[in-house]
Formats: sequence, structure tokens, C-alpha cells
Amino acid sequence: MARVELVDVTKVYDNKVTAVNTVNLVIEDREFVVLVGPSGCGKSTLLRMIAGLEEVTSGDIFIGGQRVNDVPPKDRDIAMVFQNYALYPHMTVFENMAFGLKIRKFPREEIRRRVLEAADILGLQELLDRKPRALSGGQRQRVAVGRAIVRKPKVFLFDEPLSNLDAKLRVQMRIEINRLHKRLQTTMIYVTHDQVEAMTMGDKIVVLRDGVVQQVDAPLNLYNNPANLFVAGFIGSPAMNFMAGIIQDNGGFVFQGKRFRFALPESLGDSLKPYVGRRVILGVRPEHVYDQQLAGRRPLTNAQEVQVDVIEPIGNEVFLYFGDGEKSYCMRMSPDKLYRPGEKLQIALDARKLFFFDPQTEQRIA
Amino acid sequence: MARKVILYLVLLVGIVVFTYPFFWMLMASLAPEKEIESLVLIPSQVSLNSYRQVVEKIPIFRAFCNSLLVSGAVTAGVLVFGSMVGYALSRLRFRGRNLIFYILLFTMTLPFQITLIPQYILMVKLGWVDTYLALIAPYMMNAFGIIMFRQFFLSIPQDLIDAARIDGCGDLQILFRILWPNSIPALVTVGIITFMNSWNEVLWPLIVIRVEKLMTMPQLIALFAVGGRAEAQLGVKLAAATMLALPIVLAYLFFQRYFIESMATSGLKE
Ligand SMILES: Nc1ncnc2c1ncn2[C@@H]1O[C@H](COP(=O)(O)OP(=O)(O)OP(=O)(O)O)[C@@H](O)[C@H]1O
Ligand SMILES: [Mg+2]
Repeated sequence: MARVELVDVTKVYDNKVTAVNTVNLVIEDREFVVLVGPSGCGKSTLLRMIAGLEEVTSGDIFIGGQRVNDVPPKDRDIAMVFQNYALYPHMTVFENMAFGLKIRKFPREEIRRRVLEAADILGLQELLDRKPRALSGGQRQRVAVGRAIVRKPKVFLFDEPLSNLDAKLRVQMRIEINRLHKRLQTTMIYVTHDQVEAMTMGDKIVVLRDGVVQQVDAPLNLYNNPANLFVAGFIGSPAMNFMAGIIQDNGGFVFQGKRFRFALPESLGDSLKPYVGRRVILGVRPEHVYDQQLAGRRPLTNAQEVQVDVIEPIGNEVFLYFGDGEKSYCMRMSPDKLYRPGEKLQIALDARKLFFFDPQTEQRIA
Repeated sequence: MARKVILYLVLLVGIVVFTYPFFWMLMASLAPEKEIESLVLIPSQVSLNSYRQVVEKIPIFRAFCNSLLVSGAVTAGVLVFGSMVGYALSRLRFRGRNLIFYILLFTMTLPFQITLIPQYILMVKLGWVDTYLALIAPYMMNAFGIIMFRQFFLSIPQDLIDAARIDGCGDLQILFRILWPNSIPALVTVGIITFMNSWNEVLWPLIVIRVEKLMTMPQLIALFAVGGRAEAQLGVKLAAATMLALPIVLAYLFFQRYFIESMATSGLKE
């Protein structure tokens, strides 16, 4: 059983950088948890503290119920896969995978059995005698994963393991790691800055920013119910549109932006009441902005006329950009109806999919 | 094309300038005594007479073994301890790490002569005069080796060390099982330079060793050459000098291969 628990974990580096700030987190046994956030937000630092490679400045880390703050990495029963693989250049693939077991004085036969088993799972049988420099990036990545799994650790840690691979291989390895998780049934903690990776792999996602946990949730909850402006903007591609404006109460609530004006559904009334007359930020995802003509029978807000700035045809969908003289906004359309730049259309927002944020605290209001 | 010719000419001149004295020494040591004065390069006949005299007059083989022992132990010490300290200074975090490093750098600027007397007094107090310990112990670690290793280890990715740590290595295992095999250029460079310096050392042995059977080769030969026992025969002196230089040249030729090999293949970065 390897439940990982972080209690008020803080890391301040020698140069006074607070890389991780009072993080509280529970990772259940056999869970696949993804830590995601922009570069420099402290993901690696957090992972390295769990691994024992970095000292904890304050707070406690528990693995399988045991407080491990002062336990060296080798006694934590964890394995880690690094971004640049960190294979031992002077050892063959077999030796790389066997090394951890050899140091731990496993019997030779057992080492052999385990390495061959891992090689089998990862398709490395042909490569066992090669040195790392004679491998492709994807193969090296597999060896790095193999080195982790032969140890049968309680917890796997991955630090951006796929970021050096090309897009296609990344998708493939993503699936393989998911499959591995199903097969091994072990706790895995996976760091990435790629929100697509996070969404597709995690049972649970932890969004970090400047060392502070923003939200911990299942992927779709994160998408549908972002806790604050940062999470709303970080999860989802293309990113959520944000429009600054004021809430007015003219019998019904109205959002007045720089140029656009949307009447809001009554259901938002309670949460928006305190904000009447104040500035808020309206958030809406590109797929929830509709061409009024094509929207069908969804509950929409009132329509506003916009002029097309740019279109980006991706193939299965088209991104259409329009502006309000201040910012540019994106909407996602089906490729059936192609607008040209300069053309006008009536857009309306999905009334059930509107988010409101307080511009000061950046917290979600509604 | 013309540039290439010029390049080769320059290199050729370089080779001649560097190897001529050595070649002359070798030839002169093989020539009969009376032909040496004439500075001819190719002697009329090859004579091993000079070598025979050296071997008869001084315990040169014993001195050779002493030198090998001393230089070998010193080199091993510098490689082991130097890399240990270099590792600590580059990869372990502790208070005063940089201070220690700067102090080490500072000691490199001190001329040997300044520490000579205190070091001698230390040897006397320890009772190490006229023992191998006096030749070996003070030189088993030096700032040059430490700094070389520190710099080289800094260029090795931290992830490699972290991976080894997670695999269960302690610091010594990380050093000897992970860093050493990936630091062959540094090991060879420090090894060769340390060995040569130790092999060529004359002054310190002259100070701490007085019994002939503990003398190192350069010490013995220096005493022999200037001490009158060579009876002013140039050929004999040159034969002794050749015997002194030969092991270094051979060692260098041997390691050179490794050196180039390791430079070419130690592709740590992908
Ligand atoms: N050894 C260190 N000493 C001092 N500051 C550090 C050290 N390592 C990281 N930092 C700082 O801590 C912060 C978090 O770094 P960290 O490497 O954890 O970020 P990250 O989220 O992994 O970023 P990336 O996605 O770029 O890998 C950064 O501001 C970084 O500059
Ligand atoms: Mg990182």
C-alpha cells in the first residue's frame, strides 16, 4: 500500500526562492496523479522532495503511512524517470536496468528474470546489449521506464518523461504509460507542463502555480469547474476566452463588456448579486461560443454581431477569431460553414457554460 | 594545397625542435664515449658500454622500483582522494563548500619553496624521514587534481547522480561506479600529469631520503651525475638520463591511446 501524503510541504531554496509553498496533497494508493503547471511553478521540486533528492524546508511527507522526511531516496521504495532519461552511458541496456537490483544485492537469477520481464513488457528484447548512445530517443525513454519497473517500487515518479520526444511518439508513449499503470497497479506521480498530457493520463490532476496548489480534481471536473482564473486559462486548448466587464442589474443581470453586452440567465443571480456595479471577468470556452444561425436549440444568451479577424482551419474544426477593439476572442466551429475574414456574423454564448471571476482575487464567482 | 604544405612544414619543424635533443641523448648514450663530443647523430657503432657502467655503479633497478612504487602510490592517491574531494565540492551541499574551494585555489598559488621547510619539519616529527611514507604521504592529494575533478564532475548531468541515488547508491558508489567510468578523460589527464610530476621530483627526495636503497631514480641519477661517480663521462650520464625518461615516454604513449579514445567516445550528452 503506498498512499502518498504531503502536509504543509514548503521548499525554500538557498537563494530564497520559495519553489513550493504549503502544499497539502493526498495521493491514494494506485492512483495516477499528474502535477501540471507552467515552467518554474515548482513541479520538479515537489517531485524531487517526494523522491528524497531535495530536502523539505518545512512540512511532512508520508509514503505508505511512514514519515519519510529524513529517509534517503534509496530507502523510500520509489523509482523515478527523468526528463533526459539519465541512463548510465557506460552500461548496456541490460546493465542499466539491472543496476538498481545489483546495488540492492538481488540474486543474479532474480535480476535476470526481472530485467527480461521488463524488456518483454517494453519491447526491448533486441536492444539489451546496446549502449544508450546507440538508441533512439523513444528507446532510451523505454529503458528509463524499464529501469524503474524492474525494482517494483511502491511509487513511480515521472518528471516530464515525454517532453524530449516528437509529437507522434509522445502520443504513443502516453498510451503505453497508461497501459503500464493499469498493469502494474502502482501509485504513479507524473509531472508535465503539457495540459493535454495531464488531461489524458491523470485520474487526478494537481494544478500548480508559483509553488501553490490551485486545484486538485479529476480531469473533466477541472475542465468544467475551474476554481479560479488561472486554472480556467491553463486547462483547455485553445484557452478559455476572458472578457473584462461590469455586472449591471436592469431587472435581469447583464454583463457589459467593452463592446459586447450579454444578458445573463437568472440561475447566476445569487452568485452575481454582490458584484452588481463591479468589475468581473467573464470566461467562456471557444466551443461554447456559437454562430447563432447554427446553434440549434441550446439555451443561448442574446446575440452580438462580430466581424471575423482570422480563421484557422484545422481540418476537423475551425477556429475563428474576432475582437472587441481590445482583445481577441476565439470560437470553435465546424468546418461545414466557412466564414472569411471581414465577414460578419451573430454570435451567442452558451448560457449554461459561463464562468465569472473576481478580477482581484482571481477566484471563481460563478 | 599550398596551405597544407606550409602547415606540414611548420609541424615538421616543431617535431624536429622537440625531438632532436631527446634523439641526440638516446644516440649519444649508445655511442662510444669518444664519439659523443663531436655531436654526431648516428654513431659509428652501437655500444651498450654506458648502460653497463650505470648498472654496475648504482642500484638503478632498485631505484626504478622505488620510483614506480612512489609515483604509483602518489598517482593512485591523487586519483582516489582528489576525485572524492572533487565530488564533495561539486555535488554535495554543505556549509563552507565554496570557502574550502577558494582556499584550495589559493594553495595552488603558493610556491613549493614556502611549504618545503614546514613540511620537512613535519616529516621529522612524524619520524618518516628515510621511509617511503615521506615520499608518498604528502603528495597523495593535491589541489590541482581536486580542481580538475571538481570541474569535470560539474559537467556531468545531475540527473545521472540522482538516478544512481534512487537506484540505491551511496556517495562512494556514485563516485566509483557512475562518475569514474564517465570521467576517463579527467582520470587520464590527472593521472598522467601527477605521475610525471612525481616521477621527475628531485628536490624533495633529496631532502628526506638519505639511504641509497630508498632513493628514487631521479634522485639517484642526480647524485650520480653531479656527485662524481660518473667520472665525468658524458655517455654514462646520458644513459642514466635515458633510462630515467624511458618509462615516462612509454607510459605516455600507452595512455595517449586511451586519452584520445576516451575523448572520442565519452559522449555523455545525447
Ligand atoms: N537548485 C535550485 N536552487 C535554487 N533555485 C531553484 C533550484 N531548482 C529550482 N529552483 C527554482 O525553483 C523554482 C521551481 O523550479 P522547478 O524546477 O521545480 O520548476 P518546474 O515546475 O519543474 O519547471 P519546468 O517545467 O521548467 O521544469 C524556479 O523558480 C527555479 O528557478
Ligand atoms: Mg521541471
